[in-house]
Amino acid sequence: MTAPVDELDPVRAELLRAARAAAEATLDHARTGAADTLLAARTAAETVLAQARRLGEADGAEEADRERVRAAQEAWETELVVRAEVYAALRAEVRRGVRRALAREGVAARSHLADVARAALGPEAEITASAQGGVTAETPGRRVDLSADALADGALDRLGVRAETLWGPP
Amino acid sequence: MSGPVEVEYTGVRELRGPLVVVEGVSGVGWDEFATIVLDSGERRHGLVLEVDRDLAVVQVLEDTAGMNRTGTRVAFSGSPMRIPVGAGWLGRVGNGRGEPADGGPPVLGGSYEAVGGAPINPVRREPPNDPVLTGVGAVDVLTTLVRGQKLPVFSAAGLPHLELAVQIAAQATCGGEPFAVVFAGMGLTHADTAFVRDGLAARSAARELVLFLNTADDPVIERLLTPRLALTVAEHLAFAQGRHVLVVMTDMTAYSEALREVSAARGEIPARRAYPGYLYSDLASLYERCGRIRGRPGSLTILPVLTMPAGDITHPVPDLTGYITEGQIVLSADVQAAGTYPPVDPLASLSRLMRKGTGAGRTRADHPAVAAQLIAALARSRQVAELADLIGRAALSPTDLRHLELQDAFRDRFLPQGTDEDRSLDDSLDRAWEVLLTLPRSQLGMLPADLLDTHAPPRREERR
Repeated sequence: MTAPVDELDPVRAELLRAARAAAEATLDHARTGAADTLLAARTAAETVLAQARRLGEADGAEEADRERVRAAQEAWETELVVRAEVYAALRAEVRRGVRRALAREGVAARSHLADVARAALGPEAEITASAQGGVTAETPGRRVDLSADALADGALDRLGVRAETLWGPP
Repeated sequence: MSGPVEVEYTGVRELRGPLVVVEGVSGVGWDEFATIVLDSGERRHGLVLEVDRDLAVVQVLEDTAGMNRTGTRVAFSGSPMRIPVGAGWLGRVGNGRGEPADGGPPVLGGSYEAVGGAPINPVRREPPNDPVLTGVGAVDVLTTLVRGQKLPVFSAAGLPHLELAVQIAAQATCGGEPFAVVFAGMGLTHADTAFVRDGLAARSAARELVLFLNTADDPVIERLLTPRLALTVAEHLAFAQGRHVLVVMTDMTAYSEALREVSAARGEIPARRAYPGYLYSDLASLYERCGRIRGRPGSLTILPVLTMPAGDITHPVPDLTGYITEGQIVLSADVQAAGTYPPVDPLASLSRLMRKGTGAGRTRADHPAVAAQLIAALARSRQVAELADLIGRAALSPTDLRHLELQDAFRDRFLPQGTDEDRSLDDSLDRAWEVLLTLPRSQLGMLPADLLDTHAPPRREERR
């Protein structure tokens, strides 16, 4: 006895095949889509990464430039402060030197300076010995300062650009 | 001892505001420089404003606060103010009276020069030549600054003239030749002073900058000295040391107001808007110190910045400045309102010497023609815009509409620039071409055909 043949089997088989084919196509489509999406994502990621790298490099270069300028500026400011200290030390040393020289010369120097002051203000000028050495002379309304410190400052001012040898190359 | 003996005058008759009246003086002249020693030993400085028989009126640069009639001594130098000059100034910052403000020692120049300066002998002047490139497209292409020229910036309150002045001072170059900038700030607020120092730090660190900064709260007499100090230092750097020097002076209106105050203190008869009658010649005595000298390398170019009170271009300061200088760069509130920097009004701006500084061998062969065509096209665009306001855009011809597009392209693609963007001349000129090519070839008649063929090959319909 043979089993009865279901007349719907071919239909069922065809539906099954069609369903499998559709599933396969959907799967293929999904695989292709996933691959495309992945490719697009990777490309986008690489673009973003490259752009970020470029921006980062530009930012870094700008920051490095700013830092370099700041460092150069700070170094220059420090150098200027040190130059000012050296110049002040020179002034103090010159003042000490002039005081020592006037003290060494004693009365002769004071007398010479008094003559210079009288030549400027007239014979009636009142001459006063300065505590640090040298003299000051005064008439009503006019005064001459020939004290040690004033003489030293005048000499240093006349030294002018030669004082730059203090911080210039030897 | 060597050198003449310095006589100090102790007869101070009166202290009045910033003035000291000294009696018993002899042989003292106007504008003579004076050193004032206080009882405490502090030293101040002054200028002789007036001399009458044995009386001298001295304006104290640092003000008279803390001074007594007794114990104050005044010594006169026998000459107007002098300043040490030399390369020692490069990288240094001075206050408005030329003293170091950067913590350094005094600037020790190889020689001293009177700050009043000596005018250049007219027969030894060389005409300005070759450009100073500023890195600002609107200036370099349309109002090129030429070495030895004086080209002012006309601005108004609220416009970014200080930003533009600092940007130009920071970026300007002279094609690789030795170059320096001397920046004189007058009547600046402390915030502006900090902005200037920060903006020019790189140039200062490169020892290409000298800064003189007079702040708004400094005595006004110093404001009269500041540009003169800057020019004296610049003249030596230019004509004795062979550098191309750009002197930026801002704000010349603050300077002129200081001149008005000092003139009033001298009791002089006021002229227009109470400025002294000699405002023109005083401004000329500053601006005419620029130039080039035959047989000497180097040049001195001046970029004064002035603010027009209430935007009034007929105000005495811009009016008289315009008579002396060789063109102007005008900043516009309308362009600023549109959010564009730099807010240069191209049609009101002009560099009269531009032809001497542009073209083949100087900038680029196409530069003069491009600049002339762009100005002409912008002028037409402005007319068209006014016409459109009257009759409506719909009634305009296609060519007129293209001119409106050109105006937009100019404002969108050519003019805007960052405050720290150093734009090359090639980039600026290429942008100018891009703007011009919004017009059809038939509207670009000022450009030679070969240039047009290079930048815009004719389309088929235009060839016919």
